[in-house]
Amino acid sequence: MRDTNTKTLVGRLLRGAAAAFVSLLAVPAQAGVPGITGPTFNLRAGPAYISQPDGASIYSWGYGCSQSPAGFLPVVGMPNQNCPDMQIPGPTLIVHQGDMVTVNLTNNLPAAAGNTSILFPGFQVTASSGVGTAVGVLAREAVNGSTVTYTFTATTPGTRAYYSGTQGDLQIEMGLYGAIIVLPNTVPPNCSSTLNDQAKAANSELDFRLAKAAYSHAATCYDREYLFQFSEIDPAIHRQAEEQKGVPCTNNSGCMVVETEVYKPAYYMINGRSMPDNMDPHYAVQYPRQPYNGNPHMHPGELTLLRIIGQGRWQHPFHEHGNHVRVLARDGNLLLSETDTTKLAGPLLFTTTTTPGQAMDGIFVWTGKGLNWDVFGHTNDPLKPTAAATCTPDANGYHNDPTAPNYYEWCGDHNKALESKPFGNVGSGGPVTLPDPGIVANGPWYGGSPYLGPNATTRAVGSTPIPPSGTVANSPTDEAGFAFMWHSHNEREITTNNIFPGGMLMMMLVDSREFVINESL
Amino acid sequence: MVSIHRFVRLLPAMAVLLFAWGAVAQSFRVQCPTSTAIHPLIGGAPNPSIKCQQISGGDGFATMGDGTQTYLFGFGPLSGLADIVKGLPGTQPASGFNLDNSPNLPNIGDPQPGYGFNGAVGLVPDPESDPAGQLTGHVDPRLIMDVGVMNANQPAPLFAIDEDDEFFLTLTNVGQVMRPDLFEQHTVHFHGYPNASSFYDGVPDASIAINVGGSFTYYYLAPEAGTYFWHCHISPPEHLQMGMVGQIYVRPRQNRVTGDLGVALKAANTVAAYGGTTGVTCNDILCTGQTPLPAGANATTGATGVNGGGMYAYNDGDGSTRFDVEYPIQMMGFDPNFHFVGMTFNPESFTDMKDKYFMLSGRSYPDTISPGTMQTQSTDGTLHSSQPLPTIINIPAGGRALLRISDLSVTEFSTLASLGIPMKVIGINARLLRDTAGNDLSYYTNSITLGGGESLDVILDASGTNPDSTPKYPAGSKFYLYSPNLDHLSNDAENFGGMMTEVNICASFDPTTKVWTGCPSI
Repeated sequence: MRDTNTKTLVGRLLRGAAAAFVSLLAVPAQAGVPGITGPTFNLRAGPAYISQPDGASIYSWGYGCSQSPAGFLPVVGMPNQNCPDMQIPGPTLIVHQGDMVTVNLTNNLPAAAGNTSILFPGFQVTASSGVGTAVGVLAREAVNGSTVTYTFTATTPGTRAYYSGTQGDLQIEMGLYGAIIVLPNTVPPNCSSTLNDQAKAANSELDFRLAKAAYSHAATCYDREYLFQFSEIDPAIHRQAEEQKGVPCTNNSGCMVVETEVYKPAYYMINGRSMPDNMDPHYAVQYPRQPYNGNPHMHPGELTLLRIIGQGRWQHPFHEHGNHVRVLARDGNLLLSETDTTKLAGPLLFTTTTTPGQAMDGIFVWTGKGLNWDVFGHTNDPLKPTAAATCTPDANGYHNDPTAPNYYEWCGDHNKALESKPFGNVGSGGPVTLPDPGIVANGPWYGGSPYLGPNATTRAVGSTPIPPSGTVANSPTDEAGFAFMWHSHNEREITTNNIFPGGMLMMMLVDSREFVINESL
Repeated sequence: MVSIHRFVRLLPAMAVLLFAWGAVAQSFRVQCPTSTAIHPLIGGAPNPSIKCQQISGGDGFATMGDGTQTYLFGFGPLSGLADIVKGLPGTQPASGFNLDNSPNLPNIGDPQPGYGFNGAVGLVPDPESDPAGQLTGHVDPRLIMDVGVMNANQPAPLFAIDEDDEFFLTLTNVGQVMRPDLFEQHTVHFHGYPNASSFYDGVPDASIAINVGGSFTYYYLAPEAGTYFWHCHISPPEHLQMGMVGQIYVRPRQNRVTGDLGVALKAANTVAAYGGTTGVTCNDILCTGQTPLPAGANATTGATGVNGGGMYAYNDGDGSTRFDVEYPIQMMGFDPNFHFVGMTFNPESFTDMKDKYFMLSGRSYPDTISPGTMQTQSTDGTLHSSQPLPTIINIPAGGRALLRISDLSVTEFSTLASLGIPMKVIGINARLLRDTAGNDLSYYTNSITLGGGESLDVILDASGTNPDSTPKYPAGSKFYLYSPNLDHLSNDAENFGGMMTEVNICASFDPTTKVWTGCPSI
């Protein structure tokens, strides 16, 4: 439905306010990679409705659990964790390298949909061939109402996609896709206890990682991890399927006639949700069929593993503001130097373009190195003692104390002022004069100052921070992180049915160590 | 007539003055210090490593390949106008930016071809400085409005800086005259900058955005060398489609090296990591501020046996990214329906968005090979230099051309193919293609494919010889760069045009006079 007020300022303000409001209801919500454990998984393919931020309820098909799973990860647990009987994306299957994996798939799609199946690219899959299964073009299929069983060994670690191998143009579009993560069975010694681990412990942060390294390779350690699956929805296709779902049918190939061309998506999703819904918590009760979110947070210096999968039909130039990503692997294959396999060879990308069916693992890290000003507004001006801090460089030049709020500060820029004549208690003598706050508009994720963290922000703007505390998604007195937009750079995809903002967009927050990142919220 | 136009321009400025907070809080202003902590005065003169530029955020018109005058939102030049109209980057050192406009008052429609002033538009002596009359960044808003209104360029003004520079970019929001219903803010997002500051990242949701009638100065120490790009980040599905896209590249430190390139790289790697490292490989997984030494460099000294003295795309340490001429090329598409709707207050459809004009640096073939700036008449009756960048690729015989290619399409991917001369992709997303052990990962191809938000560097190498030692690409040859997405070779309903340009092998190029000799005729 077209919104004729899309272009008005009022309309945009309302939507911006709505976006901020929804995020506030949830309290700062973080991510991590939740999923279910096996190694036997009892899945079903079934129909249900999923929701969009414009209020649309879209008839879809997805994988879900036909019975309670063996367990949930991460170990620390997430509130409301559950495996519904249908979800989009499908449940994230988490296994260990060497596991013998069994997936029982029951076809609970409407009879009119015909058979269904799952492909597990990257693995050597054997399928059952008993009654209720049928030969498919790409994989053994489950006939309507019956179950097919796939078995394979999770030979190598990494992130991979899984998706329907039957009538993919319809079934994948309808939502039959998910991720399977294989964790390495040996942790490289240098990854097992790092200074970032100590910093987390010092700040009483729980560990939500699935593992300490993405692969059994010393260069693949990580401190946080997120999974992002990109997909689209063309409502015309879903509507056709909805209209024909009741057609009586006994054909293996179904009885629906659904045109999947011309393809004109109106919804673009990360982990099955459009912005701003994707920034609400995992397992949020308002999206029972869309349990996973996209709401990355990290501290400076934390190696953040991005597990990125292209689902759907289109490529999406997924652009990470804030820094490059070092690609570790493609479809679970580590990219290593030909002459020295201890060294990585994946490219550095600021736009990690997704391709349907393809997965990649990459590492992102932010430190602020090279800005030429102190992001904490530190100074050694004796008249500003509250702005003083130490920065003792480690071998790479970063502050070496994991218990300090400025752990991983780039000491090369320590005490360098940004502002020429600041009002607040931050360094002066810098190169710029900030604009009058009256001639700028503040964004909902603006921390309140150019500086990182509530301490620096409060010093910089004084006792009445702009914007006032508590009314935005990145409170100046509580979080005051650096927000970076992570989004598809095919910009029309950051819309929800013609409304901006929406679609494939999320805000990544680099938080000072003063702010506890709790991924269970 | 002229006085009415000037009055119309003055209205937003007058509104600003009515609500002025006083001299300290002037809304329009530029910032370009002559010295900073890391770049002090040199012999009393402004430090040449401080680079400045001013741009307007507003609207304007451009001419499409089929002759259609199309409405844009865009950034226009408010400094470096003489260079911009010649198709050069508008970035100036502080000494070239901080010039009093008074002897050369700019006019509506500037820069016209031949325009001579490169300083900041509007910069005039400050009556309230102490002593009075200094250039403090105080600007005359009438001059800004005269030049800035409706002067949007496609693509936006070109920035070019060197590693170790400090860059002060002032964005001045002059309002959008054709859309009096809008009070759009604008921002500048430096796309791809490593370790970006959220405050200067230009994302309005994450920081601040400048209102109509105000100026905001972005500040960045130059990032690692490479081909980046920049664009507005306000309502990107709209502002980017409407044309608020531009290019920026950073020249490597290696351009200033005369001795062994590998030794210099090793030293630079060491400095980048605070000194406690060998400088042979990277200190962190993203190689922040560093480039691995090429495999084969001397492990102790870093020497590769290749001396500097040329122009390079990256700090390669071995001269492998050396080039003779460079050309920034921005791939972009316009949806004519969306641009029409954008001018006429109608609801915009993002699901229906379909580009029909396909451009290289703001022009479609054959305009891409038309030398000099392109002009478009705006609704005020004035000719503006709307599209100053041709993409004529001249290569001196036996030489190498660096194509700095970026893509800011908001809808789809495009391929650019080279018919004749192989392309060597040496960098992707502003990073040299080299693994962390120092092995060369560059590759030859005949085409590259980019989507919005991506960039890469290609070298067209015309130095090949045949087995009989005759040049493979002799002077006088002409080749083509075109999109094999054949539907992108159109100008809306015209079935030939679009993303295409010509590569000419010329006999020679004189860098002093900037004259090419022995080029193939059209």
